[in-house]
Amino acid sequence: MLMVEGTLILSCLIPAIHFADGTVLPITLSGLFTFCVGLLLLVRYRRANRSADKRTSYLLVVTMWVVLPIFGALPFLATGVLHSFSDALFESISGITSTGATVFSAVEWLPSSILLWRSMAQWFGGFGIVLLVLALVPSMGINKYSLYTAEASGADNTGKQTTTMSSSIQQTLGIYLLLTTAFVLALWKSGMHVWDAVNITFTSISSGGFSIYNNSLERLTHGQQYITALAMLLSGINFAMLYNFFTLRWDRLHKKLDQLTFYLIIYLVAATFVTLALRFKMGYDWSNSLRCGIVQTISVLTTTGALAADTQQWWVPITFLFVVLSLCGGMAGATTGGLKAMRVLILVRNVRKILRDKLHPHAVNPVRLNHKPVSPDIITNVMVIFLVYAIVIFIGIMLLMLSGINATESIGAVIACITSYGPGLGLSGGFGCYADFTVPAKLICSFLMILGRLECLTVLIIFTPAFWRK
Amino acid sequence: MSARYHRLHFNELNPYQQLGLRRFNFRLMARLIGMMLIYMAMSMTLPLAVSLYTHDGAQFALAFSAVIVLMLGLFLRNFAGRRAEYELKENESYWITLTVWLAIPFCGTLPYLFTGGLASFTDAVFESFSGFTTTGSSVVTHPEELPEGLLVYRALTQWVGGLGLLLFVVAMLRKLTNGAGRLYEAEFSGTLQRKLHPRLSRSVSRMWAIYLLITLVMIVALLLCRTPLADALCLAFSTVSTGGFVTHSDGVSILSGGGLAVVTLFMFLSGINVAILYRFFTLRWRHIGQDEELHTYLIIFFLSAFVSALCFHTVGDDWFHAIHYSLFHIASTMSTCGFYIPKPDNWSFLVSVMTFVLIIMGASAGSTGGGIKLKRIIILMKYVSNYFTRMMHPNAVFRVKVNGEPIDSDYINKIFAFVFLYIAFIVGGAFVLTLCGCSIPDAICMAAANISNLGPSPLINNLGGSLDYALLPALAKWTLTLLMLAGRLELFALIAILSPAYWRRG
Repeated sequence: MLMVEGTLILSCLIPAIHFADGTVLPITLSGLFTFCVGLLLLVRYRRANRSADKRTSYLLVVTMWVVLPIFGALPFLATGVLHSFSDALFESISGITSTGATVFSAVEWLPSSILLWRSMAQWFGGFGIVLLVLALVPSMGINKYSLYTAEASGADNTGKQTTTMSSSIQQTLGIYLLLTTAFVLALWKSGMHVWDAVNITFTSISSGGFSIYNNSLERLTHGQQYITALAMLLSGINFAMLYNFFTLRWDRLHKKLDQLTFYLIIYLVAATFVTLALRFKMGYDWSNSLRCGIVQTISVLTTTGALAADTQQWWVPITFLFVVLSLCGGMAGATTGGLKAMRVLILVRNVRKILRDKLHPHAVNPVRLNHKPVSPDIITNVMVIFLVYAIVIFIGIMLLMLSGINATESIGAVIACITSYGPGLGLSGGFGCYADFTVPAKLICSFLMILGRLECLTVLIIFTPAFWRK
Repeated sequence: MSARYHRLHFNELNPYQQLGLRRFNFRLMARLIGMMLIYMAMSMTLPLAVSLYTHDGAQFALAFSAVIVLMLGLFLRNFAGRRAEYELKENESYWITLTVWLAIPFCGTLPYLFTGGLASFTDAVFESFSGFTTTGSSVVTHPEELPEGLLVYRALTQWVGGLGLLLFVVAMLRKLTNGAGRLYEAEFSGTLQRKLHPRLSRSVSRMWAIYLLITLVMIVALLLCRTPLADALCLAFSTVSTGGFVTHSDGVSILSGGGLAVVTLFMFLSGINVAILYRFFTLRWRHIGQDEELHTYLIIFFLSAFVSALCFHTVGDDWFHAIHYSLFHIASTMSTCGFYIPKPDNWSFLVSVMTFVLIIMGASAGSTGGGIKLKRIIILMKYVSNYFTRMMHPNAVFRVKVNGEPIDSDYINKIFAFVFLYIAFIVGGAFVLTLCGCSIPDAICMAAANISNLGPSPLINNLGGSLDYALLPALAKWTLTLLMLAGRLELFALIAILSPAYWRRG
């Protein structure tokens, strides 16, 4: 089981080594150290049993998302840009979970290698989550991710997930690389420095949101912002759908449009509201309000967290809407966080189903998705995730308030972390940062990020007695 | 139903059917509302009597509105509702429930308007809905300036709404055998309680009897604590119905120590299922001991009281005051009554968040309180903890049981959907409130407090907001009014009416 982990750590350092050539010694050191540990584990546990049972796979996933960030924190400490371990860990977890919450109040003074490492961590983490979802579907058992399999597997739903597994990983990787290259090129063509283009693409395609500028996207030209917005929009779409789209297999797409439509409708409605509110309540001119409406809304909906302006100054209803949107999130099987559009759609349709049940008690009223009835198991799964999500948010807010943060900021920070959005409300919102949070608060936020990224249940099950019982 | 109408020729259909709309049993609806109005007019004689006795100047306004309500009621009952069929279809019960819950509070605004106690129509509607839904949010900053008759009327609206408006009709209208259960369900949707008697009307009468009894006991207890009669009446009505209207701008602080203890005790009692109280008073204690919801209620009550007492103690209160205040505060919050003793300082954040959670959880099912209801919470918690086990053992079969009875999965699904809707309503309401200029935590707390029919809470005060609903703009007041109604009808009755599927024929 540790083989997988070792391999992942191993690949985690490839970027570290790759860009560290000659720039900074500490980075090379931390890269090498990570590499060695990975190799050591790999060699040591070479003969480990390859098949993982359910308990092991849950443990594996959680360990992976705890161990990787710890190693990911090394470059920050080694280069001396961050002095406390909790800060480095926070930044690293925020990177690998592609949250984008930062402890740096200003990022422009950071060495470029560190900036690239932050972006790289997000890019890697963004792909990691999709991969995780794909790779562990069979061993996870009980429809944990059957939501994804329903949509994510590129093949027809004939139950051959195991055979199509490697091909779906390839597909996803292909799409991810293709999109990255395309957007780097596009941004480069639009007049941006290659290095900037790489960083910005990495963080937007993974719906991460780390920035290399203090004022995030506001620095870019309008055209470049729209390109970034497109990258974010695509990052919120299911990868299998993107694959089918790019390989021109549109016949497979048109039967599965429910979630996409829902996602786009939410986006359009919210973007319209934000644009109008900015125009008429905040006094922006049309071009600015349109730009901010389009770019910022998609950044929130896909839980990227890149900022087109200092949202902290915006009208309160807009910031509240952002909180709600980030809770909703993009589509399942994409790099975004949040509840995912599909779950929200199922929740809404389930309410409709219950109304129909009440009005027509003798009719059969299934919840339908893409014209197919959704099995009750999936519905309960969605409901449980929703409820656990809500409870975790409550507890998170309570803990943050206990650590001395006021109500607005706690709400903002908890939701920003659990949905992997990034910027919270108040101090941590807008162009602000999490630097002023106390150490316990940072640790709570870090934990929430992992919890949110792994969709709560996977992490929480480890804390249940049933998990450890034979 | 649809099959019968499809065979008819288009010209034979009535206008509603021609439009593709459903046909409603309007006569029955008119008759029910008419009867409700007549009872309401009768109940107005109590404030009228108080008013005549104290010469507060509201006599004419009260008498006038009582007469109008009576006339309207008679008209609806005897003219519009004559020859009504006493049969209700499943989906009509929602419509009737909602109409009654709109008609009665709207008619209930008359006394406020006639006495001139409230400035605007919006305020009167807010106050009236807040009364009938037993929320207790008030736009009146200084209630002592209102005529006493009006104060009693205001408290009485809560008392009438406490057990549900339709429950009253169900008790009175013996003829309505077919649809009574449905009305009962539409108002108390999904609480799945064991009836007190096989016959619905009889069990409802028993509930009313126990309700009346508790109220009387409380009035006497308050009088014994040397509370003035009008105050005793008002506070008893507010407490037993878990409403929360007060008679003085200092709230319940005007009471003596003994009076406060009485209020605390009765708030605590009114958060309990009426059926259990009935069994308690008829000495059938065996059932009570086994009731899981009661256990949970007691555990949560004493645990949170203990924790908050601890919090208050650590910031400098002596034990007596800390415990006293905590018991009062937790009883007020859990029963969603909403009385408060001003205590702006030294609130720990732990108490704030705990209060918020308690507000949302609410009281026991079948009590007069609001919120999601403990029974649902118990079922959900059991289900979620089972779910974790099921993740490890996918093939194992689990059933959620409450009080030894298995709960079927459809019902659990309904509860999940209910909780989702509840949160969605809070979020939606809070969004509109932020449009009106509230800060985000204030907006969320206010929305939650009103959908749970709590009303005022020191929580809102502590987060920097104001308890003074009078200062809110009209849009916020209407939103809160809608939330109160939604919370009182447990969402589905309201949602059902709003859904297009409901209006389609067949």
